[in-house]
Amino acid sequence: MLSLENISVGYDATDVLHGVSITARPGELTVILGANGSGKTTLFKTISGLLRTRSGTIEYDGQTIQRTRPNSIVKRGIAHCPEGRHLFGKMSVEKNLRLGTYPHRDRTRTEEILDEVLELFPILKEKSAQPAGSLSGGQQQMVAIGRALMSDPSLLILDEPSMGLAPLVVEQVLESIAQINRNGIGVLLSEQNAKASLAIAHRGYVLAEGRVVLADDADKLLDNPQVQAAYLGL
Amino acid sequence: MTLFTQQLFNGVALGGVYCLAAIGLTLVFGVLRIPNLAHGSLYMLGAYVTYFFLTTVGVPYVAAIGIAALILFVLGVLLERLVFHPLRNSPHTHHMIAAIGAMFFFQAVAQAIWGADFRRMETPISGSVHILGAEISAQRIVIIVTAVVVLSLLTWFIKRSIHGQTIEAIEQDRTGAALVGINPAMVSMLTLGLSALLVTIAAGLVSPINLLSPTMGDSLNLKVFAIIILGGLGSLPGAIVGSFALAIAETMTSTYISSAVGEAVAFIVLVAVLAIKPTGLFAKAVQR
Repeated sequence: MLSLENISVGYDATDVLHGVSITARPGELTVILGANGSGKTTLFKTISGLLRTRSGTIEYDGQTIQRTRPNSIVKRGIAHCPEGRHLFGKMSVEKNLRLGTYPHRDRTRTEEILDEVLELFPILKEKSAQPAGSLSGGQQQMVAIGRALMSDPSLLILDEPSMGLAPLVVEQVLESIAQINRNGIGVLLSEQNAKASLAIAHRGYVLAEGRVVLADDADKLLDNPQVQAAYLGL
Repeated sequence: MTLFTQQLFNGVALGGVYCLAAIGLTLVFGVLRIPNLAHGSLYMLGAYVTYFFLTTVGVPYVAAIGIAALILFVLGVLLERLVFHPLRNSPHTHHMIAAIGAMFFFQAVAQAIWGADFRRMETPISGSVHILGAEISAQRIVIIVTAVVVLSLLTWFIKRSIHGQTIEAIEQDRTGAALVGINPAMVSMLTLGLSALLVTIAAGLVSPINLLSPTMGDSLNLKVFAIIILGGLGSLPGAIVGSFALAIAETMTSTYISSAVGEAVAFIVLVAVLAIKPTGLFAKAVQR
C-alpha cells in the first residue's frame, strides 16, 4: 500500500502541492483527476523520487520512501511511466523494454514479462527492432508502459498516458491499463479524461491547485454533481 | 606510391591512438555533459604509469599497459567522485575550472615523481613488416590490431551488455534512465573510469614511438577535442571517423606539405567545422 501523508512539494519559493494525502491500496486502480497545473505530475514525480518533499511522509509497504532515490524506489516495486514518456529514442523497442528489467535483471522473469507485455501490445512485436523514437505516439506510449512493467512492479504509476493520442488509441490504452490492473498490478493513474478513467478505477481523487478537493470510490465520483459539472460536462 | 602506402599505414596507426583517446572523451561528454579538459593529463599519467611498470618494475609490455589501464580506471572513478560529482549542480564553468585544476595537479605530480625531462620508453616490439612495398614497423601493426580489438570489445560492451547500455540510456534520456532504475552517479563513475582506461591503452601503445613528458597530454588534448567536435559531440561513430580522418590528414600533410602544417591540420579542421557545420558530422541532438 502506498500512502502519502500531508505532503508539500515545491519548486524554488513556491509550493505546488499543499498538504496532499493520498492512499493507493494494493491491487487497486486509483485515479487522480485534475486540470492542467493542478499538481498531478509533481505528485507522481515526488512518489518516484525525482522530486523531494518539503514536509509530510510517503510510505510504501510500511517503509518510508520520501528520501529514497528514484533507482531504489523502482527496486521496491513502484514503476513510474512519466508524462512525455522519456523513452530511449534511438534504441530499439526491444532494448527499451529490456532496459526496463534493470532493477531485477532476472533472466527467466524477463522473458515471462516480455511475453506478457507483447501479448498486451501485440503491435510491439512487429516493431521490436525499430528505434523507439520512430514510432507513433500511441505506440510509444505502449513502449513506455511496457518498459515500466518490465521492472516487475507491484504499483504502476501512469502520468496522463492518453495525452496527445487519438480518441480511438486512448480507448485502447485505457483498456490495456484495465487489463494490467486485472492481472494484479496496482495502478495509480492521472487523467484528464474523467469518465473513461473512473469507469475502470476503484478509487478516485480530485486535485485542484495542489490540494485534494474530493476523494471517494470511483462509482460515487462518477455520480458526484461537482465532478460531473467540472469534468464530465454534464 | 610506396611513400603514400607507408604514410597511409602511419595515419591509420595514429588514427587508432586518437580513436582510443577520443571515444572516452566523447562518452564522458555524453554522460556527464562536460568537456573533460583533464583528459590529456590522464593520457600523460597513463603513459608514465605504463613506463613505471615496464622499466622500473620490469613486467612485460602488455602486462604493464594492462596494469596501468586498471590503475587509471580507478583514478578516473575517483576524479569523477571527488571532483565532478560534488559540482554536478553547479554552472558548467565550474566543471571546466575544476578540470583544468585537475590537469595542473596531475602534471605537477608527474613532474615531482619523474622530473620534467623527456623520457624514452624502449620499444619492446621490434622489427617491421613489408606490406604492399611499404615497410611498417611492428609497433604500428600492434597499435592497429589493439585498437580494432579494444574498439570491438567496447562496442560490444556498450551495445550488448546491460551495464554498457546504461551509458547510452543516460545519454539519450536522463529522466527515463533514472526511472528504469539506473543510478546516474554510478554510470558517471563507470564512464570516466572507462575513458581513463581507454586513453591509457592509447598512451601505452604510442609511447614507444613518442617521448614522455609531463606536458605530453596537451597537444593530444587539443587534437581529441578537435576530433569529437568534428564527429559531433557525444557521437561514437563520429569519434571513430573523426579520429581516422584527422590522423590521415595529419600524416599526409606532414609528408607532402610540411610537418608544421601537419600539426596545424587539427585546428584548420576545427575552425572549418565550427564555421560550416558546428554540430559536427554525426550530430546528436544534445538535450539539456
